[in-house]
Amino acid sequence: MTEDRQLVSKALKGDRKAFEMIVRKYEQPLTSYLGRMTGEREAALDFAQEVFLTAYCSLASYRPAFKFSTWLFKIASNHMIDHWRKKKLPTVSIDQPIDDGEDAVMPQIADPGPSVARKFELAEIRKKIEQALATIPAALRELFVLRHVNEFSYEEIADIKGLPVGTVKNRVFQAKELLRRRMEGS
Amino acid sequence: MTTCPRPENLYLYLEGELGPYDAAKLEEHIEGCAACRDALAERRVLHEAFTSLSPFEVPDDFARSVMDNLPEPAVRKAGWLAPLIAAVSALSVGLLGFNLFTGTSVLEVLVAVNGFFGSALARVAPLLAKTLKLLNVLLDVAVDLVRLGFTGLVTFSRVLGPQGIALVFGLGALLTILAVFGARRFLHEGEHS
Repeated sequence: MTEDRQLVSKALKGDRKAFEMIVRKYEQPLTSYLGRMTGEREAALDFAQEVFLTAYCSLASYRPAFKFSTWLFKIASNHMIDHWRKKKLPTVSIDQPIDDGEDAVMPQIADPGPSVARKFELAEIRKKIEQALATIPAALRELFVLRHVNEFSYEEIADIKGLPVGTVKNRVFQAKELLRRRMEGS
Repeated sequence: MTTCPRPENLYLYLEGELGPYDAAKLEEHIEGCAACRDALAERRVLHEAFTSLSPFEVPDDFARSVMDNLPEPAVRKAGWLAPLIAAVSALSVGLLGFNLFTGTSVLEVLVAVNGFFGSALARVAPLLAKTLKLLNVLLDVAVDLVRLGFTGLVTFSRVLGPQGIALVFGLGALLTILAVFGARRFLHEGEHS
């Protein structure tokens, strides 16, 4: 964290090497996030370029009191929202409960169901998760990816998305249960 | 037996996000509930898979291409006015202080500095000397005026005596109060008109 602040400080003084170190540090987490959100590797790389460019141009607005990673992912998340708006892709309101027809999540009931664990091996489960991930609502997918791919804490995700921590926890849970149900059905 | 935990709590338990009390309650419940034990076992496998998804591969030259597409660095330009004002202020205060404490005139100091720094300074020294001489004269006039004012005040207070000074201060305070209240009333009426 302190290292990030030092790199930002150097980059603000015109040290391009410092910013390159930032890019090298975050290129993979950022592309992993954007890749899952777009579903395309090439598009993810293009978006990552744009996010780094935006970050570079607005580096002076970064406040060292906050984590650099959350600031960077906030830019990336806003970038995705702009992209969806331009493409007019359906997005899910954060206030609206996720109702996905037959896949609607019933959080109160402990439903063991047919075991995914018994059906597939771990490597295969990962593959199924990747496939199922592309089919769940983007609002849930994003929070799931931030939590389990990028390993942000619930509090950090709440900061990135400007949501209450409880909402983030609930949405990540809904994403996981939706993935489980989709995998059971496959 | 306690009620079955919410599925949400099974995930939070696996992530270590459940508080110690709730975690202990959940563990106690699972001991005696086969359905929840199975549910937890399944989510444990899923949790393992969720947390071990492969990162996206990034080309080796990605960072290079990002850097090539960045605009020229927007380096914060150092302001020249503030350091200049600071330097001139520091010099003025220093010379003034030297003049007041040692009695040496500013001109003499400048001549000494001029001799020390040599020919480069000597080129601008005459102009600077004239300016400083003028400043020195102005400073002497200012000091004399202050001294005159102070002497006048002392003489005036001696003539008035303690009662006279108290009377003057009292009248001054009264006039100030009247002026303030008058102004406020004037403004108040102005707002209403």
